[in-house]
Amino acid sequence: MLYDLRRADIRIKWLVTCLLATLGLSYVFGALMVALYAGFTPQRVAATYAGSEMSMAMPPETTMVMQHPMSMADFAKPEVHTVDLNLLIQDTHVHVPMYGLIAAALGLVVAGLSLPRRRAMGLIVVLFAAPWLDFAGMWLTKLASPRFAIATLAGGWAMGVGYLIVAALALHQMWLSHERS
Amino acid sequence: MNLLIRAVTIAALLHITPVVVLVKRPDAVHVLLPGADAYVAREVHLSAADAHRLHAAVDWSPEDGVLMFYGGTAGSTSVGALEFVRVDTPHGPIEVAVGFTPQGVVRGVVVTKATVEMKPWVLEAVAAGLTDHYRGLKPGGEAPGGAAGIASRVGSLAAYTAGEVDKGVARALAAYGAFYNHVRA
Repeated sequence: MLYDLRRADIRIKWLVTCLLATLGLSYVFGALMVALYAGFTPQRVAATYAGSEMSMAMPPETTMVMQHPMSMADFAKPEVHTVDLNLLIQDTHVHVPMYGLIAAALGLVVAGLSLPRRRAMGLIVVLFAAPWLDFAGMWLTKLASPRFAIATLAGGWAMGVGYLIVAALALHQMWLSHERS
Repeated sequence: MNLLIRAVTIAALLHITPVVVLVKRPDAVHVLLPGADAYVAREVHLSAADAHRLHAAVDWSPEDGVLMFYGGTAGSTSVGALEFVRVDTPHGPIEVAVGFTPQGVVRGVVVTKATVEMKPWVLEAVAAGLTDHYRGLKPGGEAPGGAAGIASRVGSLAAYTAGEVDKGVARALAAYGAFYNHVRA
C-alpha cells in the first residue's frame, strides 16, 4: 500500500498525532459544552430541542392574558437552554460542514491504517454517520417526537467512540507497533 | 488542499460561540423596577392576527407566540414593567431587558446576555453610553437610535451590535405599546 502510517515519514506521523491531539481537545470541550447546554440524558436533550414547541397549542382566537405572582427567586432560577427552529437551522448550517471536515480528516487517517478493507470502510461510515445521526436526532426531536433525543445521544457517543478508535489505532500503529519503520 | 483549508477557515469563522450572562436577571430587575417588592408575570398569548400584526410592525414573532411582561409594585403602587427580548443575530443571540415606568416610557435598558464573541462589542457599546439613548422613548414614538448615537465613538462591530440592541428595544416598545395594557387578564 502506498499510504501506510506505520511506515510514513516521521513528519507525517507527527502531523497526524498533532491533528488527533487537537481534535481530542476539541471533543473534550465539546462534551463539556454539551453538559452545560443540553445534557447527556434523553430527557435533557428532549427539553433542549423539543422545548415547548412539542406541546404548543394553536394560537388562541383572541389574544389572552394569564397573570401569576413571582418572587425575586423566580427570576434567578436557571433557565433551560432551548434551541428553537431558527437556531437549529443555524446550528445545522454551521456544524454539519465542520463535522464533515473532521470526519474527512479522521477518514484520511483511517485510510493510512493497517486494517482489513471492510473494517476501514465500516469505520469511515461510522465517522460520517455519527454526525448525521446526531443532527437527525435533533431535527426529529424538534419535528416528530421527543423520543428521538436518543438518536442525538447515540450520534454524539458514536462520534466520540469513532474518534477514540481511530486515535488509539493510529497512535498504536505509528508509534508502538513492531512493524513500524 | 487549498479548498480544504478555505472550507475549514470559513467553518471556524461561522461557528456560533456560547451565550454568556452579562447581567443576571435579578440584577436587571433591581435596576429596571427600582424599589419593587412584589412582582407579577403577565403572559400574553397572541392570537394569530395579533401575532401577524406584531410581526408586520417589527419583523419579530415572540417564542411560542407568548409575550412575557413582568410588573413590579412597591406596596400598592406600580413601579412599572419590564420585558426580556431575544434578538437572533448571525453571531448568535443577545438578550435585552427593557424597563418601562408606570407612565409607559422607557426607564432603562440592560443587555443581559450575549455570545462570547459579541460580549466585547456589547461592553464597548454600553461603555460608550448606548443604553442612555433609549431612556424616555415611548411606544409609537421615535424609533430607537442607540446605534446612530454612539457610531462616532465606537468600532464598527460595537456599532453593529448596538443596531441589534436597537432592534430588541423596538420589539419591546411595539409589544408593550400594543399588548401590555390593552388586553384584560
